[in-house]
Amino acid sequence: MTARVDRVALLAVPGLAYLAVIYALPLLMLLAKSIRTADGVSFGEYAAFFSDEYNMRVLWRTLRVAALTTVLALVIAYPTAFAMSRAKGPWLTVFLVAMVLPMSLGVVVKAFAWSILFRANGFLNSTLQWIGLTDGPVRMLFTETALVVGAANVFLPFMVLPIYAVVRQLDSRLPEAAASLGASPMFRFFNVTLPLTLPGVVAGSAFTFSMAISMYVIPSLIVGERQQTMSMLIARSFLYLRNEPLGSTISAVLLAIAIFVVVFSSWLARRLGARQ
Amino acid sequence: MTRLLSNGTSRRNFLKTSTIAAAGTLAAPSILRAQSSEIVIGCAGSHTAWMEQIVTPHMKEAIGADILFEGTKSSVNLEKMASNADAPYLSVVQMDDPVMIQSVEADLLTPITPDAVGNMTDLRPDAVHMEGMWCNYVQPWAGVAYNTDFSEGVPSWEALWDPANAGQVIIPSLQNTEGMWTLFVAAMLGSGKPFSEAQYEIEAAFAKLEELKPNLLSVYTTMSQAFNLLEQGEISMLSGNFSSYTLPRKAEGVPVDLAAPSEGIFAMPSGICLVKGGPNPELAQAYVNEMLGPKMQAEIADFASSVPANTTVNAGAEIPEGVPIFSPDWAFVAENRRSWIERFDKLMAL
Repeated sequence: MTARVDRVALLAVPGLAYLAVIYALPLLMLLAKSIRTADGVSFGEYAAFFSDEYNMRVLWRTLRVAALTTVLALVIAYPTAFAMSRAKGPWLTVFLVAMVLPMSLGVVVKAFAWSILFRANGFLNSTLQWIGLTDGPVRMLFTETALVVGAANVFLPFMVLPIYAVVRQLDSRLPEAAASLGASPMFRFFNVTLPLTLPGVVAGSAFTFSMAISMYVIPSLIVGERQQTMSMLIARSFLYLRNEPLGSTISAVLLAIAIFVVVFSSWLARRLGARQ
Repeated sequence: MTRLLSNGTSRRNFLKTSTIAAAGTLAAPSILRAQSSEIVIGCAGSHTAWMEQIVTPHMKEAIGADILFEGTKSSVNLEKMASNADAPYLSVVQMDDPVMIQSVEADLLTPITPDAVGNMTDLRPDAVHMEGMWCNYVQPWAGVAYNTDFSEGVPSWEALWDPANAGQVIIPSLQNTEGMWTLFVAAMLGSGKPFSEAQYEIEAAFAKLEELKPNLLSVYTTMSQAFNLLEQGEISMLSGNFSSYTLPRKAEGVPVDLAAPSEGIFAMPSGICLVKGGPNPELAQAYVNEMLGPKMQAEIADFASSVPANTTVNAGAEIPEGVPIFSPDWAFVAENRRSWIERFDKLMAL
């Protein structure tokens, strides 16, 4: 049995080799560049990065935007996943196509579409004025709000699908049992349904946060150069400043955050799974 | 167990054949490219229209070359050349003068010579740089692009700072070459000196740029998006835009025009160079020769409303009369640009 398992494990070798060469090796080279100097090893670039007030503002903005994007995507995705789990036949197909089809549309096209939506005489401003919520056009283009809305739109499927996968397997008799014991709808949701779906929420949030924290094209097009994010700083360092140590340092900081998110979410998902 | 397949192929032979097949598959594009008439040209993203419509078909007919072009910013072209210096895949690059200077310093270019590129002898003397390391092929002029639904013109660069235009202006980042124009305008207005002297007054330039912030909707690195907002009327002015982009759009009936403010306009430094050690060098030289020849010069200059560099050609954009045209000290720009970019980003950040 052990030999059989070992042979099956060999199937992972091509994938691991691919990741080692295409992913791990370049990352190690990148990390090496961030600490290698003519005199040996130095963490001077890290010290310089963290002591620059502008870099700290960019780091904070990147984390804030990623967190807000994750929260917005979760708020939209959670009820959507439940609706999908109840849908049958053609409705389920409609839901799945609605989730997957927008992913085939390039971010550049979406960004141009959003600019039409968000502009001063665009649909949103016209609607707000028509229903009397605003007297004149509100600035939406090139704002952090527009960035969060746009990013949540792009990453929504990555939040919906993991939650949907968990919700679909939810035993519907459990909330019913709680109801038969007199639990109110709110109590049933917070003490039965939500805890059982948390692994999907954690997985979706980890996906969304990891992608939102490293997004480059979306902020470049929606908020531009006046609200730079970490990825934009990396591109600027490599392509325009031609400062590889700085670019490698920022990449390493971003990578450390992403690794923390993945490891923490895995730990959280295991812990939640164990509790259940 | 040593036989893997029914036809008797051994495991060793199978692995050997697979390795050769994989290596062949990976190497195939390079091998085919080396043997084919295909050359890869790095150029500006904004040149896509005329590269596709004019240059590609002409090169196929004139020199039998299949052109594969990669449109991006000059700085990105420089990075591509530097990253692939050991095995270049670009044969020719069309980019701006300040980045050309950096490329020469990094030893990434090979000189263009009249022996191989005969049309070079017909160029204006000031279009050939650093003993033929690169040539300017056409020169658009740069001013202020504006939406004609909101304004009848931009008589002075001061209009960018006019409080009436709050939130109505977009300027290019200093990462883009055309971003330098707003910097030099700020230097001129801030110091009160003419462009030729003001270009060195960088402290005055940044102080004046800070005053521009209330009027800025954004700072762009992707020009097409900013231009789209100008066309839609979301902004009224786009600083530092150039004739090769605005005037063709105007000719298509879009409500935009390019103003030449009275203080002066700028000559865009569009250059062409041969990549050192690039593939198909003879074809690359033939390509450059065609680009500098009268037919291509006339067609590109007309299409992109630019001034041809070939003195035998009478075509293209008309320079606005009575307005001084300024070409900056690009060596000074190349030397200081990185620190300017960092300072600019911090100054403009929200």
